[in-house]
Amino acid sequence: MADLPPNAPKDPIVTSSFSTPLMICSVLLMITVAWSLWDEMYGLRPWRAYQTRFAKAYATYLDKEVGRQKKLESDVYSAPEYKKLAAEADFLEAAAKAKDDAIAKQIAVLDSQRAAIGDAFKDARGKIGHLVYMLEIVPEKDKSEKESRLKDLNEAKAGTWKVDWPTADGSIEKDKKFTADQLNDTFTSLMAERAKLVAERGDNDAAGKVARAKANVYLSDHLPGLSAAALEGLRTSARDWDETLIQINVNPSGSSINNLGGAGLVDRCQSCHIGTDQKLVPPQLTLTKADLGMAKSNDAPFTSHPEPDLIKTHTLERFGCSPCHGGNGRAIDSVTRGHGRYEHWLWPLYYRENFDAGCQQCHAADMVTDHAEVLNHGRQLYRQRGCIGCHRYQGFDNQDEQLVSARQQITQLGSDKLQDELDIPRLQKLGDNAPDNEAANRYYAQANNLTVSVSRIDAQSAELERRSHTLLEEIKKVGPDLKDARLKLRKEWIPYWIGHTHEFRPTTKMPQFRLADDQVQAIAAFVWQSGITSPVLEHQPAGNATHGKELFEERGCLACHSMGEGANKMGGTFAANLSRVGEKENYDYIVRWVHNPRQRTRPYCPYEKRDLGPEDYAKHNLPYVFDLDHSKCPNDGHELAVQQPTVMPSLRLSIEDARDIASYLITQKHPDASYAAADYMDDPALKPKGEELVKHFGCAGCHEISGLEDEGRIGTELTNEGSKPIERLDFALYTEDAKRGVLPDGKPSIRNGHEVAWFDSKGFFEHKLENPGVYDQGKYHSNPMDALRMPKPNLYEPGDLEALVTFLLGSTDPTLPQEYMYKPQDRRRYVQEGWWVVTKYNCIGCHQIGIGQRSILMDLPMYQAENKQNLPPVLTTEGARVNPEWLKGFLANPSLSTTDTNRNGVRSYLQVRMPTFYLSDDEIRKLVLFFEAMSSQPEPYIQPKPPAITDTERAMARDLFTSPAAPCLKCHATGNAEHDKNAIAPNFLLAKDRLQTPWTTRWITDPAKIIPGTAMPSGLFKRDGDHWVFTGPVPTALQHYTGDQADLLVRYMFNLTPQEQAALVGRTPTSTKSSGNGGN
Amino acid sequence: MDWRQIWEVVSTPDNVPIVALLFLVPFYTWYAFRQAIANDQLIAIIGSDPGYAKSKYRKTQPWDPKWEREVHTWPYLMRMEFLVAIIITIILMVWSLTLNAPLEEPSNPNVTMNPAKAPWYFLGLQEMLVYFDPWIAGVIMPTLIIVGLMAVPYIDNNPLGNGYYTYRQRRFAIWTFLVGFIGLWVVMIVIGTFIRGPGWMWFWPGQTWDAERVDYAVNRNLDEVFGINGHWLAHLLPASSAPNAAIWARVIFGIFPLAIFFVLAGLLIHKICMMSEFSQKLYKRMSILQLVTMYTFLILMISLPVKILLRLVFTIKYIWVTPWFSI
Repeated sequence: MADLPPNAPKDPIVTSSFSTPLMICSVLLMITVAWSLWDEMYGLRPWRAYQTRFAKAYATYLDKEVGRQKKLESDVYSAPEYKKLAAEADFLEAAAKAKDDAIAKQIAVLDSQRAAIGDAFKDARGKIGHLVYMLEIVPEKDKSEKESRLKDLNEAKAGTWKVDWPTADGSIEKDKKFTADQLNDTFTSLMAERAKLVAERGDNDAAGKVARAKANVYLSDHLPGLSAAALEGLRTSARDWDETLIQINVNPSGSSINNLGGAGLVDRCQSCHIGTDQKLVPPQLTLTKADLGMAKSNDAPFTSHPEPDLIKTHTLERFGCSPCHGGNGRAIDSVTRGHGRYEHWLWPLYYRENFDAGCQQCHAADMVTDHAEVLNHGRQLYRQRGCIGCHRYQGFDNQDEQLVSARQQITQLGSDKLQDELDIPRLQKLGDNAPDNEAANRYYAQANNLTVSVSRIDAQSAELERRSHTLLEEIKKVGPDLKDARLKLRKEWIPYWIGHTHEFRPTTKMPQFRLADDQVQAIAAFVWQSGITSPVLEHQPAGNATHGKELFEERGCLACHSMGEGANKMGGTFAANLSRVGEKENYDYIVRWVHNPRQRTRPYCPYEKRDLGPEDYAKHNLPYVFDLDHSKCPNDGHELAVQQPTVMPSLRLSIEDARDIASYLITQKHPDASYAAADYMDDPALKPKGEELVKHFGCAGCHEISGLEDEGRIGTELTNEGSKPIERLDFALYTEDAKRGVLPDGKPSIRNGHEVAWFDSKGFFEHKLENPGVYDQGKYHSNPMDALRMPKPNLYEPGDLEALVTFLLGSTDPTLPQEYMYKPQDRRRYVQEGWWVVTKYNCIGCHQIGIGQRSILMDLPMYQAENKQNLPPVLTTEGARVNPEWLKGFLANPSLSTTDTNRNGVRSYLQVRMPTFYLSDDEIRKLVLFFEAMSSQPEPYIQPKPPAITDTERAMARDLFTSPAAPCLKCHATGNAEHDKNAIAPNFLLAKDRLQTPWTTRWITDPAKIIPGTAMPSGLFKRDGDHWVFTGPVPTALQHYTGDQADLLVRYMFNLTPQEQAALVGRTPTSTKSSGNGGN
Repeated sequence: MDWRQIWEVVSTPDNVPIVALLFLVPFYTWYAFRQAIANDQLIAIIGSDPGYAKSKYRKTQPWDPKWEREVHTWPYLMRMEFLVAIIITIILMVWSLTLNAPLEEPSNPNVTMNPAKAPWYFLGLQEMLVYFDPWIAGVIMPTLIIVGLMAVPYIDNNPLGNGYYTYRQRRFAIWTFLVGFIGLWVVMIVIGTFIRGPGWMWFWPGQTWDAERVDYAVNRNLDEVFGINGHWLAHLLPASSAPNAAIWARVIFGIFPLAIFFVLAGLLIHKICMMSEFSQKLYKRMSILQLVTMYTFLILMISLPVKILLRLVFTIKYIWVTPWFSI
C-alpha cells in the first residue's frame, strides 16, 4: 500500500476536542448578552446619564439657593414690620380660638350624629323608595292591588329603625327609635345646623385671617422667588431623582402635527434637556450654565429655557419643542438623531444663529414678531433690499398683483356691460314682436333685469376704480423711477453705477449684477434712451448750501438717509447714502425731488400702458394737471399713476428751502470724481439689446421703466423655499463638495465649532446669498444669458446674511395644524397689519413706537443730552393719547392746515418735520387701528361727551393754569409767534379735538410714567384720598375746592378758547428751553 | 465611485450582506478548493494502489484508512451544529446592536432617488435589465434560473463527489457553478452596487458618482448595423402587407444570428463536454432528454455574457427585434 499523505494523521471528526472553541464562543455569547443588556439600559438611553448629572448639579445648586433663601427669610421674619404684623395676626387668632374650639366641638357632635343615622337613613330611604315605585307601576284600574301596595308602604313608613344616638355630652343613647319620616327630618336639620356653625366659625376668625393675609403679603413682597421650603422640596426631588423618560404628548383635536409622523406631537427633548422641565425647575428659577457650575458648550442641555416670557405664551404642554426648533422630537438614542441632523430627517434642528426661523412658520403674517429680532431683520432686508422685486412672497407687498387683477376685472366688467347693453334692445324688440302677452312680458322682464345688472356692473367698476386708486398710491418700488433718468442723472455716471454699484455706494440697496462691459453699455443706453425728455425741468436758481446743510440735519432727513462715508457715516439705512449724490444728479431735479418727491414728470395710464403728456390733456382741453385729486385719465377715464412710486414723503418745504438743501446735496461728491465719456448711450442700436437685458435681469422689479411697467417678477417664489427638498436645490458642481463639507473657497465648512457638511438648505442659502453666482462656477453656458441671473445682494452688515438665511429657512410649507398659525382675530390683528405700514414708511426712523425700541434719530449726535427735546414725539401711548378721528386727519395732512403747510401741525416748535406720506385710505386706517390696538383701546372709537366746565370752575382753573408753580404756557405753544419762540410743547387749543381725557389726566399727573425723560414736569399733583390735588402752593381761589384738581385742569384745557389763551399769554413768564424730551 | 462614496455605500446598513459577500464568497471558494485539492491528492494515492482499491475504501473516495468510516450524529454532528448556532447568535446580536434599521424619510413621489436601486440581492436582475427586454430579464430569465436549478439533480448523473469536496471528479459541475453563480450572479450584483451610479451610468472605481454627469451613447439593433429595411421583402409580399415589410424583414433577419449563436454555443459546450475521457463517459450515460435540457440551459447561460459583451463593447441593443419581444 502506498503511503498516505501526512496531513491527516487522525480523524478530525472523532478525535478533535471542541472545548476551546465552545469555551470561547460561550464567553463571547455571555459578553454579547451583557452588552445587549447594557445597550438596552444605557446605550440606547443616553438621557439617563444626562439626568443623573443634572440631578447632581441641580441639587448642589439648590443647596446654595436654600441657604441663601433661608438667610433672607430669617432676615425678613425677624424684621420689626413683619413681627408686628405677625403678632397682630397671632393675637387675633388667639382671641378667636376659644369660640372656635367650642364651635368645632359642636360640629364634631353633629358629624358623629350624622354618621350614626347614616345607615338607617339610607336603608329607610331605599325601602320607601322601592315601595313607592312598586305602588306607582300598578295601573289605576287594578284597585285591590293598588290598595294592598299602599298598605305595604304605610306599614313601612310606620316601622322604626334603631340607632345608637350620640348626644352632646358624649354619651351614647342605645337603640333610639326613628320612623322613616323622623330619619329624614333629623338628617335635614343636622345638615342645616352644621352649615350654620361653619359660617359662624368663618365669621369668628375673619379678622385673624385678614391680619394673617397682610403678614403673608408682607412676606411675599419682601421675599421674591421661591420660598426656602419650596426650594427644599425641589432639592429633595433632585436628590431622589429617578431617571425617567420625559415626554410631551399633544394630539391636537381633529388634526395632526405632520412633521412628527402624523400622529400628533411627541417630544422627548426634555429627557436630556431636563432643565426645561417646569415641574423640576419652576418658571421662577432661571438656570444658567454658571448656576450649575458648567461651562462647556455641550453642557447646554441643562439650562432652563432662556426666554421664560416666550414659554408663557408658547406653553410646552401645547407646543412642545420640535415644532419651533426643528429636530426629531421622538429620537432619544443619540444627539445627532434627536437633533435630526442626519440625511433622512427633513426638519433638522435650527442652528443657534437661525433659531428665529422657527417663528416664521406660524408667524408668517407678521412683519414684526416680538422676541424674534433676527427674523424681523431678515424680513426687513427681504423687503428693503429688493428681494421682493424678483421673488414673490405670500403676504409681502403684492399691490402690483392686486392692481393687475383689478384691471383685468375692470376690463371683464366692461365687456360684460357692452354685451348686456346690446342684449337689452334685442330683448325689447323680441318682446314687441312676441305672439302673446306672456312671452312679451317674459322678454320685457329679461330686458329689465339686464338694465339692473348693468347698473350693478357700474357700481362694481366704480369700486374697482377706487381700489385701483388706492393700489396705485400704495405701490412703491424699491429703486427710483428710471423714466426720469434723463432728467435726473449724469449720462456718464449710469454705466459706471451699473458696473460698480457697491463701490460707488457701499450701503446701497441695489444689488451688484454680474455683467460684461457690453451688457452694461447696452443697459445704460436703454435706460438713457427710454427716459422722458419733456416737459423739461424748470430751471432753479442756486440756493444757500450752508443753510441747506442745517435743514438737512434738522428736518429729519437723517432718519432714513445717511451722509458721510466709512466711519463718518451718520443716519439711517432705510434710504440711500447721499455722500456722492452730487456726482450723479442734476441740481434742478434734486430741487424738485426735495420739494415734492412724489411729483411725476408725466402721469402713467395703466390702461393705455403709456405715459401721458400735455398733448393728451390738450386734446381734451384740459390743463396739464395731475395729482391725487386729478387722477383720471383724460383719454379713457381710468385711474392714473400720478405719483412717483417712492416711499419718500413730502416734507412740505418751501421752494427756497428745497433749493438750499439741493445746493447742499449737489456739493456732496468726491473732489476728483470723473467719468469716462459715454457716447454709446445715444446709439439707438444698443436700445433693443439693452431692453432685452433689462427684461432678462428683472430690473423692472425694483424700478419703474418705460414700457416695462407690467413686467412680472422674474425670480422663483420663496414663500415655501425653506421646505424645498434638498434635491431641488441645485448645488451644481459643488454637490459633492457640499456633502464633504468643503466650501467653495476650499476651506472646511464649520458650524458650531464642528466640521460638517453644508449639503442642506442652510448651506445652500448662505452661499447663494454670499455669492449668487457660486453655483454657476465651472459651468459652461453656450448662451451667456443662461447663466444664473441673481445679482449679489448688498449685505454689508455682519448679521445681514444670517438674518436673511433665517427668514428663508423659516419660510416653510407649514406642517403644523391651522390652529397653531398666528392669525389673531382680536386687536392683535391690527397690530400685525399695522407693522407692515409702519415699516414700509420707516415711522420708526423718527418715532419710538414699541417699548424699548429705538429710533434712528435718538442715536444721532445732534439729539443727545439737552437736545433730546428736539426729538420727534414718543408714540408708545399714541392710541390712548389722541382721538383716532383726529389722528386720521393728522396722518393725511400733518400740517393741519391747507394754506400754511410749511410747518408741523402739532409741534410747530420742532425743527424735525412730520412729513406728508400721502398714505392711502387703507394705510391710514391700518395705522390708526394699529396705534389704538397698541394702547389697548376699544374699537370702534366712541366719541365721549366733551368735558363741561362751569364759569366758577373756569375761573378757579385759570388761576391754577397760570399759577407760578405750574406756568403751563411757559412751555406750551400758543400760536403767538413771539411767545412760541421758546415753546417746547404743543398748543392747548389742539387738545379738544386731539386728545382723550383719560390719557390727559394720566399725563398731567405723572408724565414720566408714560414717557420717561419728558420735559413735562412730574409731581404737579399729589393723591389726596380719591382725588388729585395740586402739589405747589394752591391758588387762593382753589383753597376750598373739594373736587379733583387734575380733572378740573383737564376740563379747563378742553374748553380753552383762543381768545382766553391769548389773554393769558401775558400772564405767564416765558422761559428759555429746558432739557428733556417734549412729550405731550 | 470615489473613496468617500465607497465608504458611504459600504457603511450603509443595507449593504452589510453584500460587503460580507465580497469577502465570504472568495474565502469559501478558496477554502472549498483547498479541501478539494487535498482530497484529490488522497484520491490519487488510493486510486493508484490496487490494495486500497480493493479494500473497504472504495477506490474513488478519499477516506483515510485510519478514520472512522461512519460516525454517530450525537455527539459528532450535534456539537458542531451547536457551536455554529452560538456563533451565528453572536454575529446576529452584535449586528443588531451596532447597526440600526436603515430607515429613511417618508417617500415623496415628487422626489425620487437617483440611482433607484433594488435590494442588493436583486441588483443582478436589475443589471440584466440593461441588456434585455424587461420581459426577458425580469420574467423569463429568473424563471429559467429557478427551473434550471430544479433540473440539476435530474441532469447530473455523475455518481462521484457525494459527501466530500473534490475538484477532479466534478470539474464540469464546479465550472458551471463558478461561471453561473460567481461569474454572472455575484459579479452582476457587485456591478450593480459599486459600478452603477446616478442615472444607472457606468462609473469606474475611483470615478466620482456625479448626478450631473452627461453621457452620450447610442445603441443600435443588429439589423440597423446591417441596414435591414425590408425593401427587398416588400417586393415579395402582397401589396397590402408591403408597409410592414421592414418589421417582417427584421423578424426574419434576427432569427439568423440567433440560430448561429445557438449552433456555435452548442458546439462549444459539446466540445467542453468531450474534453476528458471521464466526461465523455458521463456524456454517453445521459439520455437525449437530459442532454437537450442541459445544453439548452447552458446555452442560455452563455447568452448573458455574450449579450453583455455585445452591448458594452459593440453597443448592440437587440439582436432579434420582433413587435412582441426583443432579444
